[in-house]
Amino acid sequence: MTADTLKRAALFCAFLLAQVVVLGRIHLLHYATPLFYVYFVVLLPRNYPKWAGLLWSFALGLAVDTFANTPGVAAASMTLLAALQPYYFELFVPRDSVDDLRPSLATIGAVKYSYYAVPLVLLYCLLFYTLELLTFFNWLQWLFSVVGSAVVTLLLIFSFEIAKSQR
Amino acid sequence: MHNLLEFLQRHFHWLLFVILEAVSVALLFRYNTYQHSVWLSTANTAIGHVSAWRAEVEKYFSLASANRQLTRRNYYLERQLAQLRRLYQEEHDTIGTREQRQLDSLRRYQFVEAKVVANELHRANNLMTIDKGRADGIAEGMGVACGMGVVGVTYLVADHYTIVIPVLNSQLSRISCAIRGHGYFGVLRWYGGDAGHAYVEDIPRHARFKRGEWVETNGYSSIFPPGVLVGRIVEVYNSRDGLSYKLKVRLSTDFGNLRDVVVITDKSIEERMRLMQSARDSLKLNVNE
Repeated sequence: MTADTLKRAALFCAFLLAQVVVLGRIHLLHYATPLFYVYFVVLLPRNYPKWAGLLWSFALGLAVDTFANTPGVAAASMTLLAALQPYYFELFVPRDSVDDLRPSLATIGAVKYSYYAVPLVLLYCLLFYTLELLTFFNWLQWLFSVVGSAVVTLLLIFSFEIAKSQR
Repeated sequence: MHNLLEFLQRHFHWLLFVILEAVSVALLFRYNTYQHSVWLSTANTAIGHVSAWRAEVEKYFSLASANRQLTRRNYYLERQLAQLRRLYQEEHDTIGTREQRQLDSLRRYQFVEAKVVANELHRANNLMTIDKGRADGIAEGMGVACGMGVVGVTYLVADHYTIVIPVLNSQLSRISCAIRGHGYFGVLRWYGGDAGHAYVEDIPRHARFKRGEWVETNGYSSIFPPGVLVGRIVEVYNSRDGLSYKLKVRLSTDFGNLRDVVVITDKSIEERMRLMQSARDSLKLNVNE
């Protein structure tokens, strides 16, 4: 538990740094910003304490918000995603799998992983940009931001997953 | 208690979720200028709607006092209307003018004004008391009328009070009257019961008249001058022996609301009657001779 906590803390710092220093400054075509820290939620293993997942996610969202000067936007989205993730992942868990199954390409296969990760990331981007814009007046901008960011984020996540599985 | 704790433990993460979301949303709307303004304007709109609803509801609570005010206002206006109606009647109304005409026609004769101090309606033989008597020149057998029509005949006279036999006395009241404009005459009688209607008997069979025509005193007796109103014909019956008509008359005098009356004390009527009597007597003597 302690080792796991330490590992999570390290991941937390890595995601935060990556987002604040590099990824948060990228605005591809003015719309697509990689929201890579959502990978933290995607990575949460099966039967991970729900309250801990919620707290970690909220903290990460809040930290990102603090640096991006968007208080509450990422925090609210991350918290909601973390509340849904355990129930959603349960749908893709194969029979006879270990209690603390980690969601990854290697453990559940590419198809199931896609079904698992893509909607989660899309939902996150949707929440994030809806809260940030808080209007559908510029609905085209909103749509481009959601789809673009989701695509860029998913590209990053799949790259990491592929790298992990080939190691 | 144990169950409650277990329940809380099982669903703790949902509680945590709600708290964290609340904090996030609070931050979102508190520290973002744009979101803050959106929140404010939306909240203002919402509050405006709620205020409007509240005003609607409060309107219903104030209905009670509005009702009271309306009732008071209504009462005030009703009174004003009654007052104006009375003023208007004094100027124009037919009843008022008819009453005036009656008094005018009586004014040619000597009379004593009196007030009714006791009256009854619901017996078979009603009696009435007025507040004038022998000291005012009243004697037995004088006619009593009011502005609306015939009332009755004086019966017992004290110094300051007089008992009157009104039309509504089935035993003693017999007033001679006629149909206005036709001259056929009969006797006014009353049989008890309805104080608003009486009957005129002994109208001859050949008389022609219509319902709704007026009946008045004919002046053939020593009691009333001619032309004092009795009432209006409402029904016509055959008498029991079939030799005459019997008229149901709606009395013009409202005995239930009688206050001021006049006693006709004119001596000329009596004098005329005395002349008539002496003529009859002399004729009788002639016949006897």
